[in-house]
Amino acid sequence: MNRQRAADLPHTNPLRDPRDRRLPRVPEPCALVVFGVTGDLARKKLIPAVYDLANRGLLPTDFVLLGFARRDWDHGAFEDVAKNAAREHSRTPWRQDVWRRLIGNIKFVPGAFDDDAAFDQLAATLGQLRDSHGIRGNAAFYLSVPPTMFPVVLRQLARTGMADNDRSGGWRRVVVEKPFGHDLDSSRELNALVDDVFTAPDVFRIDHYLGKETVQNLLALRFANTLFEPVWNANYVDSVQITMAEDVGIESRAAFYDRTGAARDVLQNHLLQLLALTAMEEPVEFTADAIRTEKLKVLRAITLPRDLADAAVRGQYAQGWLAGERVNGYLQEKDVPAESTTETFAAVRLGLGTRRWAGVPFYLRTGKRLPRRVTEIAVVFRQAPHLPFVATDTEELGHNQLVIRVQPDEGVTMKFGSKVPGSTMEVRDVAMDFLYGEQFTESSPEAYERLLLDVLLGDATLFPRNDEVEASWRVIDPLEEFWTGTQPFQYRAGEWGPKEADQMLGRHGRRWRRP
Amino acid sequence: MTTLWDTSGTAVVKALAAERRSGGSMTSGCVLTLVVVVDEKDVHEAEEAAARAAQAHPLRLLIVIRRQIETPVPRLDAEVTIGGRLGPGEAVVMRMYGRLGLHAESVVLPLLAPDAPVVTWWHAQPPDLIAHDPLGVLADRRVTDSSLAADPRAALALRANDYAPGDTDLAWTRTTAWRSDLASAFDTLRCRPTAASVQGGDTDPSALLLAGWLSSRLATPVSVQAGEGYGIDGVRIGLEDTHDLLLCRSNGDHVVLQRAGAADSTSPRAERDLGDLLAEELRHLDADQPYGEALGAAFGLADLTNRPPTRVHIWHDPMQQTATPEPAGPSRTAGARRDRPAP
Repeated sequence: MNRQRAADLPHTNPLRDPRDRRLPRVPEPCALVVFGVTGDLARKKLIPAVYDLANRGLLPTDFVLLGFARRDWDHGAFEDVAKNAAREHSRTPWRQDVWRRLIGNIKFVPGAFDDDAAFDQLAATLGQLRDSHGIRGNAAFYLSVPPTMFPVVLRQLARTGMADNDRSGGWRRVVVEKPFGHDLDSSRELNALVDDVFTAPDVFRIDHYLGKETVQNLLALRFANTLFEPVWNANYVDSVQITMAEDVGIESRAAFYDRTGAARDVLQNHLLQLLALTAMEEPVEFTADAIRTEKLKVLRAITLPRDLADAAVRGQYAQGWLAGERVNGYLQEKDVPAESTTETFAAVRLGLGTRRWAGVPFYLRTGKRLPRRVTEIAVVFRQAPHLPFVATDTEELGHNQLVIRVQPDEGVTMKFGSKVPGSTMEVRDVAMDFLYGEQFTESSPEAYERLLLDVLLGDATLFPRNDEVEASWRVIDPLEEFWTGTQPFQYRAGEWGPKEADQMLGRHGRRWRRP
Repeated sequence: MTTLWDTSGTAVVKALAAERRSGGSMTSGCVLTLVVVVDEKDVHEAEEAAARAAQAHPLRLLIVIRRQIETPVPRLDAEVTIGGRLGPGEAVVMRMYGRLGLHAESVVLPLLAPDAPVVTWWHAQPPDLIAHDPLGVLADRRVTDSSLAADPRAALALRANDYAPGDTDLAWTRTTAWRSDLASAFDTLRCRPTAASVQGGDTDPSALLLAGWLSSRLATPVSVQAGEGYGIDGVRIGLEDTHDLLLCRSNGDHVVLQRAGAADSTSPRAERDLGDLLAEELRHLDADQPYGEALGAAFGLADLTNRPPTRVHIWHDPMQQTATPEPAGPSRTAGARRDRPAP
């Protein structure tokens, strides 16, 4: 076969065999360019994730980590910063020889985001690395920058041609962190810009919840088993509760948080994504497009109740006690305006206009300064239509529940009635736990580790698409409009939200599950 | 921990249940049963490796030590632990004396975790035919280690002749890092490989399997060239129109990749201990077809992967084989027990 033909053939690697599951998926040679590499996210998550990937042998031989930030550093100074970050925050044990291999492959370009010269320098550096480090024009750009800087950086990438697949002769991908806009219009604008600078399939919107093992396990649980799917519908399900609680306050993010609030910060992305995965139909195949198509259908089918006063509650934490310590209220936090009406707690009831879910309320809640950090999805089943027992025998029998614990203690809990041992018939709820960490004790990779690897491999399964983001904003916008000009209800720090949130369920004969 | 002397299988089952109740873990998770067949002199090593693997996979561990088959009176001693030196799960160490060793399955069967896969690992010389050992017949996956044999090449050849889907050998597990690096190097290769060779011990089973794998995947003959010592030293791939690709060991714990048009790259290659290898084996509980193909290619046997996956037990009494007398029983009987606490 002559040379010309060989080059034209689609390249298949004869040593890759789908049956050979011992060999890990390793990305092609590439560079990871991190904007805002001095930020918290880069130090605590991204750089340690790069080290962990290297330690597990999942990075290609030719790999460069390129930092960009407004610091007067050379490559060496950045290397030290990166080393400290990796050492302090990595999940896997520290091995000097793994780091030594990364050393020559860590580069830094100083500059501000509006500095044309710095971006020209960055483009030139990438060009050099192509030859000196064999990265072949492949690069992923990670935008770990404040949302206001997104457009600035994106325009710079467009101007220098760095975002152009054809010009670079490889692939160019971009990773965007939430928030993806602050309402439907702004997200459309942002999506249009980023999809225009890069091509739509090359845009990866990170929602780190989707990188968690249990979230992926939810798909296995639902679609690999026969046990759950038959009851996964309005005939058997009474309601679904999705909770994401944090015990921390807003920490040092007052400026960002006061503009954003819990609904935009968490409800719009994490909670709606979890809802989509819980409620979606079976994808025709397990590919990025098929899964995202099904998620989009669910997000589009979300309906808001006509009377929002009955279905949406927002709260703001007041001074209180949490985990044995006295903590400030939201209004006393540093840099928060004294008359702020930003919510730190949001609870809503959503409906789904599909045959499978019609009439089943989906309760979503999120909040800060709640008693503990926990994220879970609880599918609450209807009670049996007829109980052949004497009423007093089943007084302690509640609804059957299937709870997917996303964090911490990743796993699944099943709650069902069982006879109390003894000579009388008495039925009481018991919980059966599947602890993910026990059953498969290999420690699960950090979400960022998994997602970074997927970006470099070009696997978009776990990343929401632009239309999903827009469909989510379509749910949030009316809520924000409804809440505008109202005062959030107060709740004491260390409580499970304002009592109005309990009443919201109580009016319909339900109550929140205590996670 | 419960220690039982001169006991019966039923008593062991009861002891395990009692141990579980007192430990409070009534619904402990368990995805498989690992049966370890080992000689007394290697028990410590096997225990350490199995405990290590148990960290990664929640398993029930059953260690079987057959001793003194010529002893006229059969006898069973057992030690039952949950969470201790044998890892976080349930573990039973059983010493079987006399002809009980030939009927080990009678003790092991009731101890298997219900409806969970069984993996049998010989950290000892496996039988010439796996079908001779009932502990191999009842297993879904069988793991041997040819590198332990005096003649590893012959030992691997024996495994090839006796192969059934579900068998693997730790010599294959030792090639994973090499195979992974090679597959990764091929990801960016744009021209055809024309020849390949493996440098390493020419009787080393890992080198033979790596060569077998390359020839089965590349459809070209692959030679094994005697290298400096033990294990795999390197791999050379001849390419159609550029220089050869060379992946070789350097400084003991590193490997260097040499390619045309790119700088050499060195990466660390941490030595994996027995426990790591075993943990890798336990990750996948279905038949490993690439291993079957590599083994077949290494010994010129076709269609290994199409053989039936189950075996039927063939009665085999080592006492009746005069041609190959059993080695004398271990002499350090007392020493092996010294670290056992009193019951």
